[in-house]
Amino acid sequence: MRNVGIIGVGYTPVFVSKRKDVNIAELISEAVDAGFRETNLKPEDIDAFTFGNMQTFEGLNMPHLWASDHIRALDKPIIRISTGGTTGMSTLQAAYYYVASGMYDVVMAVTWEKHSEGDAQVGLSGIIIPEVIAMVQSGMDLAGGRGVGAMGGGSTGTAAYQAMSYLHHSGADPEHIDKMAAMERSNAAKNPYAHLRKETTVEDIQATPFIAWPLRYGHTCPTTDGATVCIVASEEKAAKLADQVAWITGLGACASDPCTGNLIEGQITDPAEQEPCCIASAKALEMAGIEDPKKEIDMCEMYDGFAHQSLMWLEKTGLCEVGEAHKLLDAGELEIEGRIPTNASGGVFSTNAIGTSAMNRPAECALQIMDRVEGGHKIPKKIKNALAHGWGGMFQYVTVMILSDTPRKLYPDGR
Amino acid sequence: MSESVVTNVVVPMNFPYNYRVGQYIETYIRGLGEGKILGIKCPSCGKVMVPPRKICGVCDRVMEEWVEVGPEGTVENYTVGHVRLNLGEVERLDTPVLLALIKLDGADSLLAGEVRGIEPEKLGDGLRVRAVFKDPAGDSLSDLEYFEPEK
Repeated sequence: MRNVGIIGVGYTPVFVSKRKDVNIAELISEAVDAGFRETNLKPEDIDAFTFGNMQTFEGLNMPHLWASDHIRALDKPIIRISTGGTTGMSTLQAAYYYVASGMYDVVMAVTWEKHSEGDAQVGLSGIIIPEVIAMVQSGMDLAGGRGVGAMGGGSTGTAAYQAMSYLHHSGADPEHIDKMAAMERSNAAKNPYAHLRKETTVEDIQATPFIAWPLRYGHTCPTTDGATVCIVASEEKAAKLADQVAWITGLGACASDPCTGNLIEGQITDPAEQEPCCIASAKALEMAGIEDPKKEIDMCEMYDGFAHQSLMWLEKTGLCEVGEAHKLLDAGELEIEGRIPTNASGGVFSTNAIGTSAMNRPAECALQIMDRVEGGHKIPKKIKNALAHGWGGMFQYVTVMILSDTPRKLYPDGR
Repeated sequence: MSESVVTNVVVPMNFPYNYRVGQYIETYIRGLGEGKILGIKCPSCGKVMVPPRKICGVCDRVMEEWVEVGPEGTVENYTVGHVRLNLGEVERLDTPVLLALIKLDGADSLLAGEVRGIEPEKLGDGLRVRAVFKDPAGDSLSDLEYFEPEK
């Protein structure tokens, strides 16, 4: 197996609610062009493409094929990856597999979402309804979208149980969710590629209405239009093509029972159990040769559709003990200047073009490692190792990636 | 639609899907119509799952032993819904709905349901509740209409 590094990241110029000035293919092309500009590469330098966005959100079945010219993928291999919220990281992991295997040397991973041209809740229904057996298996009366599953507001209603369970296990208060929300929105204010860019206080969050106790409107992510690409290369090619490289040193991915929300499936009765996160994180950390993640991981980017989740993921990925994350928050350790900066970018919670959401996590880690952050969310210390996390599927699929400033030491058997 | 037709193309379509629920859920729904909640027991781990499903994934075994559970149970987790979705549109509710994950007596899994007849602040973990069935039955999952506090 070969080492693989990220040699460039390309974002659309902005991430906003509605990009009315471009169509979907044009939106994607902006990020592709940015990736070429950042790396000084040309389309002929790319051997293959991976491509990801959410199933059904824009009602499109083969966007990677009809937009192939805008992606500059003509005459090249291109494959679409869709794993729900984790799509972005799965797309980057697929690019990693291409290069690590020796099949290709330079691969562009392309992700995007244009939420404004579809309906996110209908899109989510488009995932859930074909999985209606899982819904029915949970005893949820669909009743034309007005049943038990719809009350509490769809995804927020289901995440509310997870938030309750997290609070119960950790000993954190609902006010910690407010505090985490305010911190991440304030981080986003510094990031030119974030969507909700406003310095935010705990009081601002607490002034928003409840959706489903304990979650408020101010605890939920936006829907965003935007696209992101990452260009990855083999160690040999990276030496020729790039001055700065963020090495992908560990990968993990794990699913548990497919059911509505890791929530009420057969045997798992704790929606905050999230065992797939523990398994994926342990695998990625081991692959990266990290023995003590609490000490060796210098920053993290967590997939947080809801404001309680970054705290929960810190515990599940092993970056702190159970019940410790909210104490780190209180001590200021999760801030940009803290010991373990968590979502310096503002997180998914502030920017959610969902196909990009799990790609922007490792992309932000890579930019910090390569010292190419634009904006005030640059972490003021040397980043040697970073942890990026993605969450999605039916609430039960987790991806984790470790990014480092030096290439990975391969196992003795060459893996 | 306030957008100009020059900049947007609206695609109006309405095509309903029609999914089979399978024999396990069919039996479950018929049970609800008779005022019974049916679960299924794994021959290996002995756990009872509600609603019933064919496979115990953990044990890799087909489940065939039907067990009646409830209708009483205990609230394990809850939320208070202040909005609901109506065909994709968010509606704010005048009166919040109480939603709970309930462990029915005799079951090892949780069932999602609405709880009525209690103040939100009394809906804590450990509350004992009882299923209320629709009368007459309508051959659907909503035949288990809601839960109320155990008398």
